[in-house]
Amino acid sequence: MKSFLKMAVLSAGLLSTTGLVHAQEVVTWWDFLGGGDGVRMKALIEKFNAENAGKIEIQGTTLEWGTPFYTKVQTSAAIGEGPDVMTYHLSRLPLGVSSGALSEITADEIAAAGLAGSDYADSNWKAAQVDGKQYAIPFDIHSIVLYYNKDMLKAAGLLGDNGLPTGLDGVDNFKAALQKLKDGGAEYGVSIHSAAGDSQWRIFYSLLGQQDGQFLDADGNFLSGDNLDKAVKATTVVADWVKDGLAPAATEYPASIALFTGGKAAMHINGVWEVPTMTDLNAKGELFDWGAIALPTFFDHPATWADSHAFAIPNRVGNEVSPEKRAAVLQVIAWMNKNSLAWADAGHIPAYSPVRDSEEFKTKQPNATYSVLADTAVFDPSSVLAGVASPVYDAAGNYLMPAVNGEIDPQSAMEQMRDDLQGQVE
Amino acid sequence: MSAADTAADVPLPARKKRFNRNEVLAALIFVLPFVVVYAVLFIYPTLQMIWLSFHKAPLIGPGTFIGFDNYLKLFKDKLFGVALWNTVYFVILTVVPATMVALAIAVGVNRLKGWMQSLILACFFIPYILPVSVVFRVWGWMFDSQFGILQPLIALVAGDNVPVFRTLPLFMPTVAFITVWWTIGFNILLFIAGLRNISPEIYEAAALDGTPRWRQFTRITWPLIWPITVLVLTIQLIAQFKIFDQVYLFGNGGRSDATMGLVQLIYRSAFQKNNGGYGATVAVVLFLVIVVFSVLQFQMLRARGNK
Repeated sequence: MKSFLKMAVLSAGLLSTTGLVHAQEVVTWWDFLGGGDGVRMKALIEKFNAENAGKIEIQGTTLEWGTPFYTKVQTSAAIGEGPDVMTYHLSRLPLGVSSGALSEITADEIAAAGLAGSDYADSNWKAAQVDGKQYAIPFDIHSIVLYYNKDMLKAAGLLGDNGLPTGLDGVDNFKAALQKLKDGGAEYGVSIHSAAGDSQWRIFYSLLGQQDGQFLDADGNFLSGDNLDKAVKATTVVADWVKDGLAPAATEYPASIALFTGGKAAMHINGVWEVPTMTDLNAKGELFDWGAIALPTFFDHPATWADSHAFAIPNRVGNEVSPEKRAAVLQVIAWMNKNSLAWADAGHIPAYSPVRDSEEFKTKQPNATYSVLADTAVFDPSSVLAGVASPVYDAAGNYLMPAVNGEIDPQSAMEQMRDDLQGQVE
Repeated sequence: MSAADTAADVPLPARKKRFNRNEVLAALIFVLPFVVVYAVLFIYPTLQMIWLSFHKAPLIGPGTFIGFDNYLKLFKDKLFGVALWNTVYFVILTVVPATMVALAIAVGVNRLKGWMQSLILACFFIPYILPVSVVFRVWGWMFDSQFGILQPLIALVAGDNVPVFRTLPLFMPTVAFITVWWTIGFNILLFIAGLRNISPEIYEAAALDGTPRWRQFTRITWPLIWPITVLVLTIQLIAQFKIFDQVYLFGNGGRSDATMGLVQLIYRSAFQKNNGGYGATVAVVLFLVIVVFSVLQFQMLRARGNK
């Protein structure tokens, strides 16, 4: 199996190096952007290639999001056959650095590309560091939002005069609103991607954050003390929607979107990366009047799970790239950040402050409505066990997902999740 | 058989000549490419893997020698027990059904004549040429808990839509069913080849004696294609022990700890958790399990067939 993989990676590497005969620098790019945002990224890459024709050319490949992407990155980095630049989740950075997959980006390189740490929110910039060393450049902040069908909310009396939903805050209020929508003819009050751990993790972590719960405390303990109770509460909220038929059980990702866009569910909780899906459908006249707001406050205060797409340079053991190539890669990263207003079309919030503070972004809808969530965002715990495609995500599939669907009782699910993850601490 | 016969017929001096140096050299040259490829791509990695299983090592790169620690850890690992059971369960669910159903279909198809036979055979064989990702998408859509085309039928029986890939007791049987559907074409092909090798004269003689169809099957067809059956069973056994793709794809994002097989445990240990040593240990154990089972099965079935 190992040798086969080596061969496969080698042959892929051979194919990519044939591009070197050109005078221009060819930058091999890997991303995992397969959703509605992937189309926007391809347009950005094309724009870059057009503007830099003859100097730098990006050759992009989109790989499967999640575990397949990160396992491929890890194995290819170890034998020096990875891409020149790739997208990377900041939540996974500690894990990536600990397994030696990422190459440090020096302060000189960053300065030479015309970027600076002060161009980013401090917490965002620091999240791209491990032990004070920079391993990635942030590109966006993304989160989950509540998509809503304006017609259905209006009919249920849940739409305020300003066109924004009202009366959704609080666990009981929200559930009552779901019931009203269901009574009004919707098959489900809210559609959620309930067949997988990743999407459930994002909702769960938001609700935990709204109670100031800590998934992993400073001493390295998972769900310690009353954090367990808060986790059970957070799980119960969603499990109750499913139990009462207000949200669909064990529903796959595409189906969860289709329930909303097909008018069977009045609301939908999903990532901002599906904003382009809605925008495009609406432009084609195939979608009702819709909107998106930050997740309601179910508990003590607003908080929403968030992660950050960033650019990272993989380690290339035994096959180092030339300084010219690295400079080209940094130019690509800088250009992407400076042009990230177009990335906001993909629903994301640009990480680069000059863009985020620009007038164009502040008037861009629906981003402007939900961009407040950036101030109260809660990021995944910083641990080698956390982040996209990490043991925490696996555990969400093993315990949280079945709890939401009523297969395991929330109390016992959270205890099992705690014990499983604690057992994986070295 | 024929090689031995000719060897016996040839006069002694000529036989000696068979082993002259030039011929041996030529034989070596012809065999060498295979031996080299086999040694480099199979023997060497296998030995490396066994060696790696005695180390605490990342997926790629050196590690530290820890003797049998990985093996001790393996037998205390709850996941290993689950993965072993899931693999055996999957083998039970697929191997015998895939062989029996293939035989039944092959006997039926074999009775058809001309283009009709080709058409029906093609229908059964087409799923086999599909890549696993396509099989996953097709059945994923058909079973989708919200919009699946099979859900109205399921709702008739169960009273409501059932998310089959997120219902633990249904997971393995459904994936096993899909696997049988997907791979059965190849088994049918092997059986048809076997059936065509049976001389029609035997059936004619039996028909003259007034032997009923069922007895023709049990007394003629079944014994004569027994070697093919053994072959199919063994190929199936080895293939299904290595189950990974379907279970991984259908279980992704769900309760993967409860549905994983041994190869998935290897993948998770080595590739996801970067623990190459432990992954290699599971691989060695799976290798041994397959060797033992397939040798046992092949020998036992062959012995019975010879009677």
